[in-house]
This record gives sequence, structure tokens and C-alpha cells, in this order.
Amino acid sequence: MNIVVAMKQIPDLHQIRMRDRQPVLDDVPLTLGNIDKNALEAAVHLRDTHGGKVIALSAGSEELEDTIKEALAAGADEAFMILDDSLDNADSSVIAAVLAATIRKINDVDIILFGEGSGDNYSGQVGSRVAGILGLPQVGYASSMEVQGNSAIVTRSLEDGEEILEVELPVVIAVMADINEPRIPSVSQILKAGRKPQEVLELDDLAIEILEEPVVTESNLAPETPRKQVVVKSVDELIAVLRTEGVIGR
Amino acid sequence: MEKFDVIVVGAGLAGLAAAYTLACEGLEVLVLERGDYAGAKNVTGGRLYVNPVREFFPDLWAKAPLERFIANEGFTMMAAERSLSINYYGNELADEPYQSYSVLRAKFDRWLAKQAQRKGAAVVTRSRVDDVIMEAGQVKGVWAAGEELRSDVVIACDGVLSLTAEKAGLRSPGIPENYAVGLKEVIELAPELIEARFGLEGNEGAAHMFMGEVTKGMFGGGFLYTNQASLSLGIVVSIKDMMENEASLGAPVLLDNFKQRPEIARLLKGGETVEYSAHVIPEGGYKALGKLYGDGILVAGDAAGLSMNIGVTVRGMEYALASGYYAARTVMQAKELGDFSVATLKHYELLLKDSFVLKDFASFKETPRVLDNPRFFTTYPEMLGDMMKDIYAVPGGAKNRLYPTIKKYMTLREMWQMAGDVRQVMKI
Amino acid sequence: MANGRGCQAGDEDMNEVMGLKAKLGLDVFKPDKEPHIMIKPGMEKDPRLKKAMLVCPAGLYSENEKGEVELTIDGCLECGTCRMVCGAEVLDWEYPSGGAGVQFRFG
Repeated sequence: MNIVVAMKQIPDLHQIRMRDRQPVLDDVPLTLGNIDKNALEAAVHLRDTHGGKVIALSAGSEELEDTIKEALAAGADEAFMILDDSLDNADSSVIAAVLAATIRKINDVDIILFGEGSGDNYSGQVGSRVAGILGLPQVGYASSMEVQGNSAIVTRSLEDGEEILEVELPVVIAVMADINEPRIPSVSQILKAGRKPQEVLELDDLAIEILEEPVVTESNLAPETPRKQVVVKSVDELIAVLRTEGVIGR
Repeated sequence: MEKFDVIVVGAGLAGLAAAYTLACEGLEVLVLERGDYAGAKNVTGGRLYVNPVREFFPDLWAKAPLERFIANEGFTMMAAERSLSINYYGNELADEPYQSYSVLRAKFDRWLAKQAQRKGAAVVTRSRVDDVIMEAGQVKGVWAAGEELRSDVVIACDGVLSLTAEKAGLRSPGIPENYAVGLKEVIELAPELIEARFGLEGNEGAAHMFMGEVTKGMFGGGFLYTNQASLSLGIVVSIKDMMENEASLGAPVLLDNFKQRPEIARLLKGGETVEYSAHVIPEGGYKALGKLYGDGILVAGDAAGLSMNIGVTVRGMEYALASGYYAARTVMQAKELGDFSVATLKHYELLLKDSFVLKDFASFKETPRVLDNPRFFTTYPEMLGDMMKDIYAVPGGAKNRLYPTIKKYMTLREMWQMAGDVRQVMKI
Repeated sequence: MANGRGCQAGDEDMNEVMGLKAKLGLDVFKPDKEPHIMIKPGMEKDPRLKKAMLVCPAGLYSENEKGEVELTIDGCLECGTCRMVCGAEVLDWEYPSGGAGVQFRFG
């Protein structure tokens, strides 16, 4: 069974600081999305049970060649990368087109896994779009899954209940963060990662037409938190102010 | 099981210099670093002297991410309410190749790790070494997160505490007498403001040391380096002195007081602190150097105690780079001979003794003792400050002659004492 | 914090003392599974710990009403000062596990 795990290269969110309400991204190390790592872990579980291969798939800037090693160390058997500096900030529709075209080049894919949302923008669109382009069924919010014969049994975690679905392979599944605890690779796994097969593609290798991005990001700012500038002189006064402002005693 | 020629513990300057040198020669090297990236755990005051190590890594310097070359050296004696500064500009400081640069380690070490990787070294981050593998008294590798990793030699470059050298039985835990602690803030400031305030142009930088009131009489001082778009400001204080100080002044308070000095505050104005860091620094000098080698193991950089404070300059990074380089040279020789015991590895100490590293330590071996004198940190800065006050003061009435003005600050006994201190300083 | 007003970007007055907690808040810390430094049981009143209170650059050592010294590990800069001051009799001292603890952006 071949499982493709789509993973996004993002800046290490811990390392981002703000200057004038804008994130400072200079020298911030890159990593793979957190939930993407859950998806990878789920894929590795399936492979260990049913055999086959786990293929990490990612589109991004040149640095991806380094970043992808995290996936290869954490259990992926090989990697497909589409390298182009424009892809780090590309729109979901572009990424979906790129990923879908690449998946078409990979033989006998049974399951395509995504994290429910990316670690940075969390738009949660790429999985559904890829399923749409490839004409595959899609299941989101997966909190557990198993494979029986030619179908997957997926538990979807919903706000006030669980839904269990049976779906025929091939299928696109987006997992939630609570599906598992991603492993921390050992030193020898990290060392072996560099020797695993890696296929590098460029945009020109994919027969796709990249349209102008339909959604334009106009502004992306940290929320502004205006200060009330209230000066108090005693605890009683503070309590009174907090009550008036509706912070306490509601 | 993975087996390497060399395992380097710690991706700091010593470790990366060793790994780079070994990888260039085609040896299989594994560097283990516990931080998220090389440099993530590394702190410096801020200045790297390139001259002593330039030729070891001829290809590296042109593209190294250094901050500013130091074109202006400053020294300030700080009294409680006044201070006296010396600024030194010299043509040689502004001539290429530049003598020294300000540096930020998170950036520099990450870059250096990349260079070592390009030469073929494996650098694995987020990996803490927990113990050494010892067989019949010889180090044979390390344990990391329950995994056994073997090598012919381990080079311990894990910093001032070097738990690796400790576990290999080469040293005991450090004692306060031989160490200082440095506290530092990185303060972002626009390059134009930095250049205007410090009288710099282009990529010129300033380095400034402070002595006296900064440490309230304790052994140590303050430092200020200009980076490209930030300042590195901090203090270094003897741990022993701080433990014994009667005023019970905590380390963070000393740094805050230093920042608030009017001479300093005006330099920082409009800046924003973006990082606070601290680290222990070896300052025991020659007598406090640890054992440099054992069977199957070498120790380099701060791990070996290779850092030195001689008052006007505090140096460590070039000793780290050089000792890493010499450790690599020693390993290459050992590999040729197929012998990784003390019999071959002791050559490392000879290489260091022949180089500027241990020559410097021998030359300055009296320094820690000479400078361990509270008069340098209280009496003299105050005295100088008072003299300057009277020299520059124009009172309402008649101004006194200058010589008696100066002389009144010293009794005969104090002059004797000062002469004695000067004789001591001449030993530096 | 002095005046109850943060020392923020572009604050004209750098003289205002930035609290230690706020300074530590500028740094990147990654969580560890367990504290990497622990006061050994029975040593909480050791005089060396009082010295650690003074010397710790992050101010992580404090004394409670019972006269025992407590250690909060969050904000540890891994500088090593307390290990020098207290020694192995008083503290169980390790570095945080790989990838955990402070990660300097500038250093």
C-alpha cells in the first residue's frame, strides 16, 4: 500500500517575533507543519501494519531539500519535492494543482494524507482541492483510521460526537492533531534520512497552468490590543474598574 | 549501529572548527548538538579576533556572516557619578584584513555548521549527549537518547561545563573561583542611529569595555559591541565575588543599573531589547585549564577552559576555533597511526603549546591574580573620576592649581599602594 | 514593571527598568518533558541555594515562607551558574533534552 503524506514547509512558529505587528521572518528556521507530522505518523503506522511505502510530498522553496529530511527521519521512505521559491507563499489553489499533478506521477497511490490545516495559515483547503482535482473521495477531521481490504475505516471527530465512515481506496484523508503523538527520530534515523530516495521536480516538469491567484492577501497583521490607559490607586478601585469593563463579576 | 571516525559533542566554534577541518580531509564526522540549530545555545559577549585563526580556514572568512569590523576601541572607568573614557581609533583598525568583528552566534554558528556539512560532516541537532561509552578506560563513543553511537575519538566541545569531559573523568565540576557569569541583552537599533551615536561609517563597528561601578567593586566589567542593526550590551561578574558581595546585589540588578547609567542610556535610546541571555565563562586562566586529552577523547574550546579575561580584552572564540582545529589535526595523525590512545592524542597539548593558544595562556597566567584586586573596581575609578571633576570644574571663586588638586586624593600610603598595583599590572 | 507600563517597541525611555520576566519573555523556550534541574530532596534549606537566588541571571530561585528555596525551571537560560554555586550535592543538574529549552535567536 502506498501512502502519500502532503507536508508543508513553514517557519518555526516559536521563533517568530513581531515588529510593528508584522512577523519577523529573517533567519527563522524552517520546519514541517505540526499536524503534517501527525499525518506522517499515521501513515507510518499504516505502513508498518499493511506494508508498502510512505512518500512525503511537499512544494516549497529550495530550503525544502533540508527541511524534508525531518519527514524522512520520522519514517517516510522517500520524498517528492517540487522546488520553486514562489511556492512558499503560494495560494491554496496553486499548491493543490501542483500537488495533484505530482501525485499523478506517483504510481499506485492508495491513501493521500493531509494535516487538517497547515501550521502557518491553517486554511485547511489543500486536501479538499486535491481530492477535487483528482476526483477522489475525501474525509476530514480524522481522529483514527484503519484499512480493511480495499477500504479505509475512518473516525471523524466532530464537535459533539463521532462519525465512523467506510470509504473505498484511493482516498484523501485529513487528520487532526490528536490522532497520535509524532515520534522524535533517533540520531541514526536522522543520519539515514539523507540516504533515502528524493525526487526533485520543478514547476516546468508538471503539466499545469498556474492561473493568477484568485485570492489576494491584502493584509496579515497581529491583532491590535489597544490599552485602556486606566490608572488605579487601590485594589478596590481596580476591582470597580474591572467590573465596569466587564472583565469580572459578569 | 553507526560508527564514525570522530564524534564531536557540541556545535559551537570549537566543535564546528574540528568538524570542518576533519571533513575537509575526508574523515567521517558526526556533530551532535542539543539545540534546535547550531548556535541555539551559544552566547558570546560579541567579538571575534580573526587574525590568529585566519589561516586555519582560509576559505571561510570572505562569506562569513560577521556583524561589523571593529574600528573603534573604547574603555571607560566608571565611578558612581562620573566616568572617564578613552577612545582609540587607529588606521590599522580600519585596514583590511580587519582585526576583529562583532558577531552574533546564532547566525554565525548556523552558517559555520552549514559549511562543515557542505564538506561532508553530519550535523545532527536536537540531540543531547547523555554519556560517554567507556571500554577498558578508553572512550569509544557516546550515548544519545538511549542510542549507542561509536567512534574512534570523541572531541568534547560541549562548552564551559563540559559534562562530557566530566563523564570521561577528565575534570571535576567547576568551582566558582574559576568562573564568571556574563549577562547580555541584544538591543535592536537602526543602523543609522548606531553609526551616528558611535561615530561610525558604513560597516565600521565599536567595541567598548567598562570597569568600576558597573560591578560594584566585584571582579568583572561591562561590555558594549555594535552589531549591524543591534547592540550587544552586558556585564561579566566573578561568580565567587557575587556570592560574597555584602550588598547582596543580584546579577540581573547589576545589568539593569548599568543600562540606566546616563552614559549608557543615551546610547540605547529608541532601541528595543530583543533577547536576554546569560552564560558562565571560564576565567581561571592557565592554572584552571582542564585536562585536554584522554584515551579516545580530546577537549576543546570553553570545555577545556580556553577563555581569558585580561581586562581590556576578553577572548574565547578564537581559542575555541584554534583548539578545534588542532584537535582535528591530532585526530588525523592518530588515524594515520591507527592509535587513539593517550600516547598519540597527547600530541594535541604540544600543538596547543606551540601555538598562540597556550602561549597566550602562559603569557597571561598572572592576570587573574593581578586583576583580582577590588581597588581596580572601586578605588581607582572613583579617584580618577574625582580628579577629572576637579580638573574640569571652574568654581565660583579662584581655581586651585592643578597638581595640588590631584594630589589631595592620594595619601602617601595610597600612593605606595598604587605603585604596588602598577608593578603588579606590569606582569600582565 | 515600573509605572505599570510595558517597555515596548520604540519606547523613548529606555531608563524604565524592564522586568526580568518580561526580558525572559523575549526569548524562545521549547518545552521539556521534565525539569532539567532539581533541588535534591532534603537540601531545600542549604545555604548554597541562597547564593543561587542572588546569582541566577533569570531569578529562578526563590525562598518560601518555610525558609526553603524553590526553583522554577521556566525561563532557565542554561547558563550553568547555579551548578557552579551549588554543586552536585545540592542540585540534580542536566541540560534539557534535545531540542528543548532556550533557543537563542541572536546569541
